Amino acid sequence: MQFAQICDRVNVDAAGPIDIRALPGTWVNSNPDTNGIARIVMSESLGNLSLQIYAIGPDRLIDWGTAAVNVFASTPSSRVAAGFTCVYDFGFVETRLQGMIMKGLLILAQLHSFKDESRRADYFVREYFALTHEQY
Amino acid sequence: MTQTFEFKQSGDLDPALSDPATRKLSAGKLIGRWVNTDPDTRGIAAIVIERNDEHFSVGVRGVGADGLIDWPTTRATALANLEEEAGQRAVALAADFDLGFMRAETYLRVNKGVLVIVLFVTFRDDSGRSNYLNREFFYRRD
Repeated sequence: MQFAQICDRVNVDAAGPIDIRALPGTWVNSNPDTNGIARIVMSESLGNLSLQIYAIGPDRLIDWGTAAVNVFASTPSSRVAAGFTCVYDFGFVETRLQGMIMKGLLILAQLHSFKDESRRADYFVREYFALTHEQY
Repeated sequence: MTQTFEFKQSGDLDPALSDPATRKLSAGKLIGRWVNTDPDTRGIAAIVIERNDEHFSVGVRGVGADGLIDWPTTRATALANLEEEAGQRAVALAADFDLGFMRAETYLRVNKGVLVIVLFVTFRDDSGRSNYLNREFFYRRD
């Protein structure tokens, strides 16, 4: 087994799908004054995960549409989802999303790279999202 | 003359992104040699970030079974980090490492003097390992 750090040398009993039950649902930005992503809707279908972004626009939410999600566990031997990545390519900008769940909170890093001639600086934003639920 | 920009969120229209000063944000806080805060880490031991003109490079040394393992140095993309660090805007880096059998998609930023790296590791061999994410912390030791 090849590795580039010793933590990647693990015993794997049997390869299997990652349990993604922690991810589906509606995740709402903890910051009501955000000018970025307002909410994320994650859905599972036939074991595959996708998400849909609703972002803040000048006068209404902007639906980014759906994107396929790559799921990540917390260790090479874990089979439980702990985060995800996905990419939106809008032509004028490419946005990479990298999400990590910590204590029920989704920490979402957004890496925006402009491809148009606007000369805007590429930028990075990190925001926090909570999964809406009916408890309490 | 008024410019009209395409956008997918209001943040894309932040005037700071069009401010020439944003493109020249100092990356001085990122440049240097960084050592893991955890002396017993089984992951990344040290990171070296360098700048050549407008280009950034990131070198990683992983903890191996018999010594450190040098990952191939990779070019990084600088991103304006509009979150303020100590009252100043900063730079974050995105760097992807391709080691053949695995790929690590990372971003790095400094928070209160600590370098934080977040890795999303994808295995491309048939080892059965799960793709996973990790976060590690480093202090500066030039």
